[in-house]
Amino acid sequence: MASKRSKATRRTDAQAASARAAAIRQEQERKERRRRSVIVTAVAVVVLVVILAVATALRSSHDTSGVAAKTVPSGTVGRYAVPAGPASAPVKVELYEDFMCPICGELEAASRTQLQQDVDQGKVQLQYHVMNFLDRNSTSEYSSRAANALAVVLDSAGPSVAKKFHDLLYEHQPQEGSAGLSDAQLVDYAVQAGAARASVSAGIGDRRFQRWVDNVDNHASKAGVTGTPTAVIDGKTVTWSSVGDLAAKLQQAIDAG
Amino acid sequence: MRWADGLGLLSRLVVGGVWLVAGILKLPDPAESVRAVRAYDLLPEAVVPLVGHALPVLEILVGACLVLGLLTRLTAAVSALMLAAFIVGIAQAWARHLQIDCGCFGGGGGQAPDATAAYPWDIARDVGLLLLSGWLVWRPRTPWAVDAVLLPEPA
Repeated sequence: MASKRSKATRRTDAQAASARAAAIRQEQERKERRRRSVIVTAVAVVVLVVILAVATALRSSHDTSGVAAKTVPSGTVGRYAVPAGPASAPVKVELYEDFMCPICGELEAASRTQLQQDVDQGKVQLQYHVMNFLDRNSTSEYSSRAANALAVVLDSAGPSVAKKFHDLLYEHQPQEGSAGLSDAQLVDYAVQAGAARASVSAGIGDRRFQRWVDNVDNHASKAGVTGTPTAVIDGKTVTWSSVGDLAAKLQQAIDAG
Repeated sequence: MRWADGLGLLSRLVVGGVWLVAGILKLPDPAESVRAVRAYDLLPEAVVPLVGHALPVLEILVGACLVLGLLTRLTAAVSALMLAAFIVGIAQAWARHLQIDCGCFGGGGGQAPDATAAYPWDIARDVGLLLLSGWLVWRPRTPWAVDAVLLPEPA
């Protein structure tokens, strides 16, 4: 029967066969491209995920802010705060500050004299948490250096000298964005506050309590402190609209006992 | 379709460029990124450090891929997801009257006195980037993309 097929039919059959072959070839090529795309995509995704995992782990290991310091200054309260005033005082005010923070400087200027009186009369214990999150706002990590210096002074000369040193640093607060006070100036102010030069200069120079300062900052962040100055009285964060308002609210709480 | 090619390329460069800058600015201070994430007061503390450490790296990877045009559809989708999450984060901070720096380009974890004024702009910027990312998910084929060499199959 096959021999009886006309030339035209055979030509049509041949065309159909070659079209089928082309379609199969195209389909194979399409599958091949698809296979290649899947493999390339998978490889790229795996590479990216590996980079992400390794870099994240590296950053994790570089972030030591949560690793507890081995050297903690003596004389702190609650491990992270520098106290001013007796532990027996009826009111405890937790203050979160950064030595580079201008608004902290304004608060200190507005409240320093009155707060010192309150401290002297035993009406309040101030608990200064000195943070270093504004390290970027100076060219020499002034926040860290100043906070460390306060810890050194507390450790070697006790809380009342530390309070004087703290106040001196705010009286001479450097401009935001500047290099801040030099280590030598920090030592000079520590001596002016009543610390012995020989017992503070090494610790200020080698940032003895840097890790502790990092811990303070980490602790503050975990306590929900998102900025400075922040004041917490009896576990409640004081809300305020202006520095004068905050100073007045602190005084109110202290007077209320 | 020339304008679509142009828009695609522009989207890749703009969105990718922003991610690159945002990620690189966060590189120097891992602890700061963690604080910035924590300040949103949204994620459980158990995952806050991981997110803080991973996010800048992810931003740089997504940014680099978009600029290069590598795995455009996938990275644009990741970009869109991240932007959606950021918009939710900023919006809830705004709604709850948290006064925080968005930390979008480093910094963050800090109080911003004018935070409420900044939130709408942060959200507007992220919505814009989200739209461009969405365009790339829809039309991932763009000129001058590594994808064109690596993945010959039309999308």
